[in-house]
Amino acid sequence: MTMKHFSLSLKNLLRKPGRTVTLALLTAFLALAVFGGSVVVLSLRSGLNSLEARLGADIILVPSEAQSKVSFQNMFLQGTTGAFYMDAAVLDKALEVEGVEKAAPQTFLASLKADCCSIKIQVIGIDPEKDFTVQPWIARSLTRELGDMDVAVGCKVEAGMGEIIRIYEQRCKVVARLEATGTGLDTAVYCNMNTMNALLAAAEEKGVSHKIESGDAVISAVYVKVKDGCDIDAVNNRLNSHIRKVAAVRTRSMITGVSDSLAGVSRTVTLLIAAVWALAFIILLLAFALIIRERAREFDVLRLVGASRGMLSRMVLLESSLCGLLGGLIGVGLAALLLFPFAQLIESALKLPYLMPDVGKALLLAAGTILLSVAVAALSSVVAAYRLSRIDPGTALREGN
Amino acid sequence: MAVKAESIAKRYFRKTGGANYFYAVKPLTLEIEAGEVAVLTGRSGSGKTTLLNILSGLLAPTEGKVWIDSTDLYSLDDKSLSRLRGERIGVVPQGRSAIDTLTVLENILLPAKLYGRPLPVEAASRWMERLDIANLRDARPAELSGGELRRMAIVRALAQSPDFLFADEPTGDLDDENTNLVLSAFRDYAHEQKKAVFVVTHENDALQYADHIYKMDGGQIM
Amino acid sequence: MKKQIVPAIVVLILSIVIIIGSQTFLSPCVHEDGSFGPCHGAGQMLLGLGCALGVLAALSLCVERARFGVYLSSLPVCVLGILTPGMLLNLCRMSTMRCRMVMQPAMIMLFSAALLCALIGAILTARKKA
Repeated sequence: MTMKHFSLSLKNLLRKPGRTVTLALLTAFLALAVFGGSVVVLSLRSGLNSLEARLGADIILVPSEAQSKVSFQNMFLQGTTGAFYMDAAVLDKALEVEGVEKAAPQTFLASLKADCCSIKIQVIGIDPEKDFTVQPWIARSLTRELGDMDVAVGCKVEAGMGEIIRIYEQRCKVVARLEATGTGLDTAVYCNMNTMNALLAAAEEKGVSHKIESGDAVISAVYVKVKDGCDIDAVNNRLNSHIRKVAAVRTRSMITGVSDSLAGVSRTVTLLIAAVWALAFIILLLAFALIIRERAREFDVLRLVGASRGMLSRMVLLESSLCGLLGGLIGVGLAALLLFPFAQLIESALKLPYLMPDVGKALLLAAGTILLSVAVAALSSVVAAYRLSRIDPGTALREGN
Repeated sequence: MAVKAESIAKRYFRKTGGANYFYAVKPLTLEIEAGEVAVLTGRSGSGKTTLLNILSGLLAPTEGKVWIDSTDLYSLDDKSLSRLRGERIGVVPQGRSAIDTLTVLENILLPAKLYGRPLPVEAASRWMERLDIANLRDARPAELSGGELRRMAIVRALAQSPDFLFADEPTGDLDDENTNLVLSAFRDYAHEQKKAVFVVTHENDALQYADHIYKMDGGQIM
Repeated sequence: MKKQIVPAIVVLILSIVIIIGSQTFLSPCVHEDGSFGPCHGAGQMLLGLGCALGVLAALSLCVERARFGVYLSSLPVCVLGILTPGMLLNLCRMSTMRCRMVMQPAMIMLFSAALLCALIGAILTARKKA
């Protein structure tokens, strides 16, 4: 295939813009579905992985009244705010239970909507020394420890480094912006336990009560890591019976729920892609067959002036590949215009952890999709090109007359 | 330099009727020499076009061989045969034979372009001038009349300077003036450049330009 | 002639979408108690810019003499529209809020499309003059 044929094919495409655009749009449809579908599925997968990594604990202890697992799960998945409290002594009790390797407390507080962000924000107090779930993630963005009245913000909280945000009239300084996790953790603000106690006290003054019947120090949840080789269910049961008024929840059940929904979405998307694929392929197949018939005279002329069968077939393949390329670019472009600016909208609609692929991965996926579009367009013209190559030039001319 | 047809025949299978096949061209032997204009006349359906297609490498005969110099035309594979047609054989077919997406000049230069040969722009201009279509070089085929399209096809064949030129009813859509223009161009091409020209026609005008006249009837040369 | 007014028609349609959108499906956040969020100002500004753009588009349709200039003056309006949500005026502090999730990307796209059309219109009218 020389440049000469390329320029001839290009002229054919440019001077029949209607035909070219129709074929390109057909492939664009295909590319849109493939690229859009795979980005969504990929984002959901990374969201699930990220959730698994951030949960990091085998069992979570929460006050039994908060055990309505739903609300707790929503906090993680969608970032809805929640606040529930129990005696800080639960942590030590948990550590006494056989099979428990590590345990770390967290304390939750929902900010007032008027405070900073015109929306309630989930504030999560952690113990940086004990914490093994959120701390490693914070450490990636903040090399030192969280100081008093310092906060680290999730990527969806729109506050810049060094900015002061006010929570219950307390001035907190943003010292780190955290990486995206695609989970509810992205909408929260993190601080150490000292800060949290100050905030709790301030909240108390504002009339937001977090008091529990016994004890002064309060926590909201204890994250438990089970020793290697221990049966997690058995430890779960021991925790439930050993500590009163507390519910032990296996994190697995939460992840399983998410991965079930994910499988459902994946299946739907895959089906959709397959349907679009098949439909587009059949339409393209018919379109090319029709176009080749319409262009029969043109191909006869090319044969007449010395084009070989191979040349004609290559020309048809080249033209269809170029249409596929154009279509692929249009489709991927359209999908990108919908997927990237409206990622948050998609995430909210899916109600599942959703972590968009990074630029490199997205580009790779785009390149793959465009390649696929070219391949499909070329493939659907193969039959037409083959039939074309079977025609004797003399016969064709006779039939043309 | 010559085209030689050796006992060629073309047989078609018939779907109905008594015999299950018929001859479009009955076995015949024919030689066309360089430097000559050969004219083939005959009634419609006498097999003229079929014979022209066989001689010009477009249609394989069912019997016999076609030689171009020492090359057995139909023993070549499609690629070599196409290349040989593109380089040494020019054909002016019946009917429209323009590619609508290209301009007149682009159509004329197409054969050379297909094989990446140097474009015969000068020869094209000369022949366009001579056949009075020089002003149409940038027009699209859709804007041309039947006679103009025909002359474009003739220039396309001539501009490549083929050793063998085959023209099927080249003056069909032309008035008397243009008919003479075309036929004299063929004669000069054959005589001055020592090429072979083979014209199929049913018009008597062509006979005065012919060095050899063949008459065909019922698939046979009389 | 015909080609030159096509961009103006598209810009007019886009500005109508912007105006209606800023009051309905692309509106800024409103709290349950009916109070406005910090993004309210940005929403009002976008409404104003949408109106300005609509007037310009209508002008370029009606006054042929002024077409080139009107296309050019649409450009800064579109740039302002792109910069308004989030850069020039504040939005709510959370990506999950409506103003950031819907209004900002949609408005940026609408104004970008209008910018592109105005640019094409300007090029087409300039070419005719030359």
